[in-house]
Amino acid sequence: MKNLGYFLREAGKIIRYNSVSNIFTLLGTGLILFLLGLVVAVWGVSSQLVGMLQQEAEISAYFDNPLADPQDIINNIQLIDGVWNVRYVGAEEARTRMENILGDESYILDLFEKNPFEPYLEIRIHLDQIDSVLQTIANIKGIDYVRDNREVLEQIKGITRALEILGYLVIAAVSITTLVIISHMIRQGIYQNRDQIKTLRLLGAPDRFIGFPFVLVGFLLTFGGGLLAAVLITLLINRGYGQLGGTLPFIPLPSRDRLLFGLVTLLLSGSAALGILGSVFGLSSINKENQG
Amino acid sequence: MIKARNVSLVYRDGTVALQNINLDLHHGGLFYVIGPSGSGKTSLMKLLMGMEFPATGFLEVMGQPMKKRETAKIRKLRRDIGPVFQEFKLIPGRTAIENVILGLRFLDIPLNKAKESAINALVRVGLEHKAFTLVDKLSYGEAQRVAIARAVARKPALILADEPTGNLDHDNAVKIFKLLESFKDKNTTVIITTHATHLIDECRAATFIHVRKGEISIERGGEQI
Repeated sequence: MKNLGYFLREAGKIIRYNSVSNIFTLLGTGLILFLLGLVVAVWGVSSQLVGMLQQEAEISAYFDNPLADPQDIINNIQLIDGVWNVRYVGAEEARTRMENILGDESYILDLFEKNPFEPYLEIRIHLDQIDSVLQTIANIKGIDYVRDNREVLEQIKGITRALEILGYLVIAAVSITTLVIISHMIRQGIYQNRDQIKTLRLLGAPDRFIGFPFVLVGFLLTFGGGLLAAVLITLLINRGYGQLGGTLPFIPLPSRDRLLFGLVTLLLSGSAALGILGSVFGLSSINKENQG
Repeated sequence: MIKARNVSLVYRDGTVALQNINLDLHHGGLFYVIGPSGSGKTSLMKLLMGMEFPATGFLEVMGQPMKKRETAKIRKLRRDIGPVFQEFKLIPGRTAIENVILGLRFLDIPLNKAKESAINALVRVGLEHKAFTLVDKLSYGEAQRVAIARAVARKPALILADEPTGNLDHDNAVKIFKLLESFKDKNTTVIITTHATHLIDECRAATFIHVRKGEISIERGGEQI
């Protein structure tokens, strides 16, 4: 700690020595992190949407004997792992629903002498357990047929997976890019200060003493980029959130404050960690460049 | 202090810089390593600083074997050495006192003690009035005195000065030699390399290590040892 002032001054000197390049590094890192923030924001919103769609995932089970008491069957289904809600839909409700769907064309149902619909169970399930749930329900005594909407459900699962993979890919790409930029800047700094580093080594200075100012530089540049990205993303979300909600009201937006807090925390902590890591990678070259 | 047995130094390009060197230098005292340019004086200093390693033989400095695989220990050993270089190796853009303190920052010394030692060292070399002057603005003679202050501020057991007067005029060179000689005592060994033997003729209290074509001979008080 006794050398903190010295380390900060050295870091300042290293940054000033190559100021134009370092300003571009800060801006570039800021923009990359801003893109990361955007992707994470979209990921957050789509995760909420997918989560909502997943909760809406439902299958229908029809009875062997529609007139029998369904309560035992409902109780059995509710005990199945992966089922979170079971609702009995009577024949009359099924007809009313169809009338609502058909709208002006609903008169067609009047052509039937008797209600053509049967009662059934509307079962909401967790998407990731669809196979086991379907198999268990199909084997329950009293269930004749299960309509599973598998295609739709599989598509929802596919979208979820694709978004997750995309998110991870973007995070990996941003992390690698930031690490490469920062470690390159640190290598440049080491090269420019090679004479000073050599002198310090000849005086017996340990590598951690020589390297710490460079770690600070990496941290300051990347954290500065993180701050810039946080400011940009805050401005964007504050301005655009209301407009997005108005234009696309069917998209369930998470709370703005919660989203902003999460994003700012991610950008600041992520940039700090990436800055330190990038510097450490860059510093590994100190041993090759300045042995002696 | 320094023990060398059949030490040879061969550079990567195959140049034999030193061959079959045998030395036994004890604590305290003043040693001049003299010889013409290219004779191997700087190569000997590089071996003592751990900047190069013996191709054959055995070299020990203050109990530390100078071997390539012991670089971490050699780095620690350097904290007990005060090096002075021909080209000063001061850090530009810093003041004289900042340069002197820099050699103390990574030692186990509180910062206020380090500042005190740096000021005392600058007083000793007669540059206290230039303590807060940027080293870029000092003359060659002053810059070398700052380098000496940096070397002695840490109270080293061994001062290694490699051609410390190489860039200086006659008067400044004599002053630097006298200054370096003044640091010799029972706890501090001073080794100075130079080819300017005409400047040190009066220094009879020193031991002279003659280096010629990579081989050495030792002379003390006018007698060959």
